[in-house]
Amino acid sequence: MIKIQNLNSYYDDFHVLKNVSLEVEKGQIVVMLGPNGHGKSTFLKSVCGLVKKVTGSISYEGKDITGLGAEKTVNMGITYVAENRELFPDMTVLENLKLGAYSRSARPFEKENLEKVFSLFPRLKARQAQFASTMSGGEARMLAIARGLMSNARFLAMDEPSLGLQPNLRIEVARIIKEINSAGITVLLVEQNIPQITALADKLYVLEEGRISFEGSKDEALGNDHLKEIFLGM
Amino acid sequence: MLTEIIDVIISGMINGSVYALMAVGLTLIYGVSKAFNFAYGSFYSMGGYLAFLVFGFAFLHNYLIVFCLAAPILFFFGYIIEKLLVAPLRKRDDWEVKVMMITLGMALFLDNSFQVVFGARMKSLPSILEGSFEAGEFILSYQDVVIFILSISGILTFRWFLNNTRTGMSVRAVAQNPAGAQIVGIPKEFVFSATFAISTVMVGMGGILLAQKYFVTPDGGWDILVKSWVITAFGGMGSIKGSLYAAFIVGMLEAFVGWQFGMTWTLIALFAVLLTTLVIRPQGLMGKRG
Repeated sequence: MIKIQNLNSYYDDFHVLKNVSLEVEKGQIVVMLGPNGHGKSTFLKSVCGLVKKVTGSISYEGKDITGLGAEKTVNMGITYVAENRELFPDMTVLENLKLGAYSRSARPFEKENLEKVFSLFPRLKARQAQFASTMSGGEARMLAIARGLMSNARFLAMDEPSLGLQPNLRIEVARIIKEINSAGITVLLVEQNIPQITALADKLYVLEEGRISFEGSKDEALGNDHLKEIFLGM
Repeated sequence: MLTEIIDVIISGMINGSVYALMAVGLTLIYGVSKAFNFAYGSFYSMGGYLAFLVFGFAFLHNYLIVFCLAAPILFFFGYIIEKLLVAPLRKRDDWEVKVMMITLGMALFLDNSFQVVFGARMKSLPSILEGSFEAGEFILSYQDVVIFILSISGILTFRWFLNNTRTGMSVRAVAQNPAGAQIVGIPKEFVFSATFAISTVMVGMGGILLAQKYFVTPDGGWDILVKSWVITAFGGMGSIKGSLYAAFIVGMLEAFVGWQFGMTWTLIALFAVLLTTLVIRPQGLMGKRG
């Protein structure tokens, strides 16, 4: 569904990603692990048209989308869910969700998607008139995911969806990701090593210092001594 | 005495309502794009001159026609100015300062163009509605009533636009969180141009409303620029609600100071109140800290 070849990203003159190649097939959940500050977020943002300076190629459903801005890629069904949520603080939950359906391709499905999102997150339905700034961390996280789904996304790029959540909420997030995926949405997510999330992966990648240092299945990852060392300290 | 006080309050309310219409536009540009528009006052004069031009044609002697013609012209003008002068600067370092300088240059250019085209003499416009309501010593001109009603409806329309239309919501989204707006696919550049254009319409409308009460002059916009900035800073940079309150406070203050001490004291009083407020509350009445 999405194929990335030799992606390089820069912030001004700072070279963040170095020749990253990655492939996600339709219906998969692909997880990219890696230590903090090694370029995971930059990678997702590059895929979603949120980084200006990129080279290499990103193709989505056979179309080249390298360098297209988010205005265009969101419209094609690619949506980024930010690690720090990036909600609209002085708007209600409902307004945040409606803005999630801003893109032209999402507008006809706004009502339908709103119902889906509310059935997935009953808490948000109960709090739809509340301002986003008054929500707890966990609720805000759910709202960010829900807003992403409102774009009628077919490909969801999630940036550390369990960051800062307590263990029971992490399990909840993992359940929701699974549910989203079983509804036909392809998921690419980056995480530090969170067992509940990693368990969902059809395929794993590890990003270190801007390069892919591992690619393979979960079983292969378990047999890799280097990975054990960085994530488990063994 | 009592009728005098009522007169002063009414005059404060009427000026306050027009100030509100204009200051809200300026606050909006700042809130959305963090740009300072120093040509704002000249856009005000432009409204007045547009109305004057329309009245130059005998068969167009109607304020309805003036508004219907001026609104799209002002919108288009604001949109083009943003696209041509402000947007290209946004990609550069220190663009805020460069935007201030280029809009300041724009203001001087416009004011001098007005002088070349229309001459330095004051132009007056016919009153929008003749006659007045009288009860004993108390006189309220219909013109003032219409100005008040039109300003308030302008503000309400604007509020409706922000809360209920997709474009309006995207304007608020960019103001509250530009990164979030980008994520949901809102075209920021379009929103910047559209807000600039809308604010041009608002100040231009204010120009038309006040032109029939005062006069149109080439440099008449500076007073409005200063007052709009005072109101914007007083209410809290970027806070629309704050600007609304501040506009009425400024209108009232002007009216009372003018009545008690004479019009020459109004600007001094205005700045004294602004400075005192900013010392106590640096973020203004309703602005956010930081």
